[in-house]
Amino acid sequence: MGRQLKFKIFRFNPQNPESVPRMEVFSLDETDSMTLFIALNRIREEQDGSLQFEFCCRAGICGSCAMVINGRPGLACHTKTKDLPDEITLTPLPVFELVGDLSVDTGSWFREMYNKVESWVHTDKVFDPNAIEDPMDNAIAEEIYELDRCVECGSCVAACGTARLRDDFMGATALNRLGRFVIDPRDKRTDEQYFEVIGSDEGIFGCMGLLACEDVCPKNLPLMNQLSYLRRKMGVVALKQIFKK
Amino acid sequence: MSFDLPVTAAKSGKTDAILDWLQMISGVALIIFVFMHMTLVSSVLINPGIMDAIAHTYEANYMAQVGGPLLFLLFLFHFYLAARKIPFRLEGQKTIWAHAKMLNHRDTWLWIVQAASAMIILIMGSIHMWAVLSDLPITAARSAARMQSGPWVYFYLLLAPLVVLHVVAGLYRIAVKWGVAKDYSREKLNKIAIGLGIAFIVIGLATIVRFMTLAV
Ligand code: HEM
Ligand code: SF4
Ligand code: FES
Repeated sequence: MGRQLKFKIFRFNPQNPESVPRMEVFSLDETDSMTLFIALNRIREEQDGSLQFEFCCRAGICGSCAMVINGRPGLACHTKTKDLPDEITLTPLPVFELVGDLSVDTGSWFREMYNKVESWVHTDKVFDPNAIEDPMDNAIAEEIYELDRCVECGSCVAACGTARLRDDFMGATALNRLGRFVIDPRDKRTDEQYFEVIGSDEGIFGCMGLLACEDVCPKNLPLMNQLSYLRRKMGVVALKQIFKK
Repeated sequence: MSFDLPVTAAKSGKTDAILDWLQMISGVALIIFVFMHMTLVSSVLINPGIMDAIAHTYEANYMAQVGGPLLFLLFLFHFYLAARKIPFRLEGQKTIWAHAKMLNHRDTWLWIVQAASAMIILIMGSIHMWAVLSDLPITAARSAARMQSGPWVYFYLLLAPLVVLHVVAGLYRIAVKWGVAKDYSREKLNKIAIGLGIAFIVIGLATIVRFMTLAV
């Protein structure tokens, strides 16, 4: 008990022409079970009402509070200050557009991602609202659910060296999203159609295997396994197309 | 229905997929080559006569004369493929450097080591291959003479560990990228890679020391 925490927080308001990017220092006495969510709210209430950051569920579900915490992207509401040193540096996620201070616009990025990977079940089956839902094999349902746990926080993209180097790279969350439909029996897209979406250096073949996505994902999604699965699968699609000719 | 509409492909074609396959295959071929090469040359540790005999067999079957230049082509081919991923512009280099410093993440640093060692190996590897292949036959005595003349020993003291580092990092990378290792076996793979790296650096350094002490 009784630690005095020093927060170095990135400040910049792009709306204000007078604002310049800078780091500001705040001090706070640590309390029991303090999370960064609690700390940031106290700073805003007690020290600087203009501090911008995002929160919603404060329980690791909505994915809106991701930021760079001492160099690593992660969820602020899921991070306890007792796991951090006395000095805590907070910066906004790179890659995404800055709204102000620690707040970035992940929403637009993810919206574009849905469109790119066509994040919906593609089927020609006409929907009948009165019919009972088709049953699904439990093992497959669980496998899909595992990949569906992504909370769209953007940490994996911000931690990705490839995404930093080339802004057209889709990132682990997008590839994971498409992979979720690949194993969904209701989606009638063929492997060739999936290949059209991710079978390039913008997609799976751009991945250089740096694995920061795997190591930062706050929901521990199996990104490493998922990416290598897609690389093999899409690699085989390309070989098949060549040898068919 | 939407599933048979053309998808909004960002970019189509199989080129990137094929180049990725080739990058992996060229990498595996080079890994096998480097490990074999270092093992065979280290036979000088047992006896220079054994190394001479192995080298002689290679030359009698024209494997050095033909295989050498072919290997050089493979080396350049691998460079061509892997260089697609290296940021050659200062802006990109600054970005990835700042990113690695911020994250402080093992496998991201490892990639930087791999890309940086690659550029040095490109130059030093070419010099090495030229020096050896333009001065056939390969014998322990000639290698020892080269090692003992001028700055060559420093050249090899740098090149050997760098190649091992690059190759072992490449082995790790290929295994995680293609799913040879899964998330639960990643740390085991990491240990194997470190073990291999240390073993081959020791073999390489011992070979250099042996050449330095061989009477010419
Ligand atoms: C003795 C020579 C070399 C060997 C044995 C070797 C081996 C390898 C291996 C096994 C990989 C992993 C491939 C993959 O991730 O798919 C690799 C990657 C790489 N190599 Fe080499 N390499 C050699 C020389 C070079 C040279 C001369 C360069 C270029 C300057 C180079 C640049 C790279 C780069 C940048 C990567 C990372 C590629 C990526 O992550 O996608 N290598 N190398
Ligand atoms: S995959 Fe993990 S890190 Fe990436 S957006 Fe989803 S929850 Fe966040
Ligand atoms: S506030 Fe919802 S995940 Fe942190």
